[in-house]
Amino acid sequence: MPKLRLPKATLALPAWVWLLAFFAAPVGLIIWYSFGYKPSIFGTHANDILSLDRYAEALSPTFFSTFSNTLWVGVVGTLACLIIGMPVAYWMAVKVPTAKRGLLIAAIMIPFWTNFLVRTIGWQIILAPQGWLSQGLQAVGLIDGPLEILYTRTAVLIGVIYNYLPLMILPLFVAFDRVGEPLREASKDLGAGRLQTFLRVTIPLARPGIIAGLLLVYIPLMGDYITATVLGGAKGNMAGQLVAAQFQSAQNWALGSAMAVVLILTILLSAAVLGLIIWLATLPFRSHYRLRLGAEA
Amino acid sequence: MSETATKRIALDRSSRKGAPQGTPPAARAKPRRSLSDRLFAIWGILVLLFLFAPIIVILVYSFNTGRLLIAFDGFGIEPFLTILNKPAIQNAVWVSIRSGVLSALFATAIGTLAGVAMARRPGKWVGWFLVVLVLVTVTPEIVDAVSLLPWVVFLGQDLGLTIFNDGIFRLVVGNSLFSIAVVSYIVRARLVGISESLEEASADLYAPPLRTFWRITLPLAMPAVLAGGLLSFTLSLDNTIISSFVSVSGTTPWPVYVLSAVRSGLRPEIASVSTLMLIVTLLSLVLVAWVLKRSGDSATEIARTMAGG
Repeated sequence: MPKLRLPKATLALPAWVWLLAFFAAPVGLIIWYSFGYKPSIFGTHANDILSLDRYAEALSPTFFSTFSNTLWVGVVGTLACLIIGMPVAYWMAVKVPTAKRGLLIAAIMIPFWTNFLVRTIGWQIILAPQGWLSQGLQAVGLIDGPLEILYTRTAVLIGVIYNYLPLMILPLFVAFDRVGEPLREASKDLGAGRLQTFLRVTIPLARPGIIAGLLLVYIPLMGDYITATVLGGAKGNMAGQLVAAQFQSAQNWALGSAMAVVLILTILLSAAVLGLIIWLATLPFRSHYRLRLGAEA
Repeated sequence: MSETATKRIALDRSSRKGAPQGTPPAARAKPRRSLSDRLFAIWGILVLLFLFAPIIVILVYSFNTGRLLIAFDGFGIEPFLTILNKPAIQNAVWVSIRSGVLSALFATAIGTLAGVAMARRPGKWVGWFLVVLVLVTVTPEIVDAVSLLPWVVFLGQDLGLTIFNDGIFRLVVGNSLFSIAVVSYIVRARLVGISESLEEASADLYAPPLRTFWRITLPLAMPAVLAGGLLSFTLSLDNTIISSFVSVSGTTPWPVYVLSAVRSGLRPEIASVSTLMLIVTLLSLVLVAWVLKRSGDSATEIARTMAGG
């Protein structure tokens, strides 16, 4: 046995080196740049004078309004994904016969495996004022004029909910599936109703999956600027677009870096605050003793 | 006395075993379709329709004979034929496939090694490594993108490492980060669930560590390795944000080409190429699912493996 123990932790060495070289080092570099400044029209960054001025610049009113907009889309979009996705995941894990599950999972995943950008363009076509949806709704009489959703915040919201919904459904499905029939049966045998079983057995046991789903949706959503570029127009600006513009058009890497750092901090901080709110909100539903699944489940 | 006690326990057990067999099967056998079950099914199908809506639209519009993608003019295969006369599109798709395959192979190789190490050599380092992986996963793509751009420029031009000026290599670097994290998670999750006894037996039978790895560990991890590899490939094909920052003119990958078309005007060929790519992706998905099924995983396990749980 001691013979076998020798080289194995070193198997992770290539991954360590690669991630340090192309993740930690570059992120370190932009943190360093964020303390610098843009020296001239042609220069992108300089670091001979260090200051926090770029952060002050980054927190300007325009940037602030874009950030609050991003935060709104992020929070509402994530919660909408949870509300839309949870019944679907529950249905797939609990109600659908096992034999049909594979097909449903594949169906959830197929859109997810089609190009992100192209799917968003599909929404551009659907939501267009002269598109089918608009014409259909007008024909039915639900709206008077052409649909005016495209290039607004609502369009961005629809786009992000669409793009990140599978990332919510899959971890929720895995979590609900893990809870398993026997525990729900036991809960019913012990006299709990359906809702009580759901709130006191299924939800607490599925919590890791719910948290994973929330994070998987919220974090990429906050950094997303593709959806906003395709569906948003001027009114739907997202923070990612501002950061990108500093690097691609304004060529002010110092300011762009500061904005990127602010973006990461905002995401982490808001995720923590959201976590706290959710924790507090679910407190009344929590049982006094802890329910846990075995490690093998 | 003890005999009667055991008898009573035995009786107790048999009666307990017998009890559930009495009533429930009949109740379970008839399919109960309550209102709530139906509502769940309706909601699920509506959401599936929602998920498929833009894809169906793209499929239909890929036969649009009009000049602009968004304005449907007539139905025909012209857009598919136009692809043949557009070397820029062909080149973009080819760049995407090459960089996707390379980064999938690379990420799967080093991600698998890392996953095996985490599952089979647990220790303090695993915690630190997981922190790095989680950071890679939670960092928004835009931040990776804006930080990689100055870094590859610095390495390629200031330090003179010319490989960093190569378009494909830059794309592989950009695609690899997230993929490595995903493959490591999936492989680790798979191996943690399998006891190490086979590997120990192999070592007891005097197999050198390398052979144990090739003949035992890797085959055990194979479904996860395949799922991870396929996921990395599709993630790389999809990678728009990082690619648009690090790509070099001349090696523009497909999503970056589409993104520039969003700004300059979308034409129907874009939908046609997407349709063709969707078919290829679906075929490869079916292939992997089939391989996984043959290796004995149930549908749920496949999903679990692919979702990394």
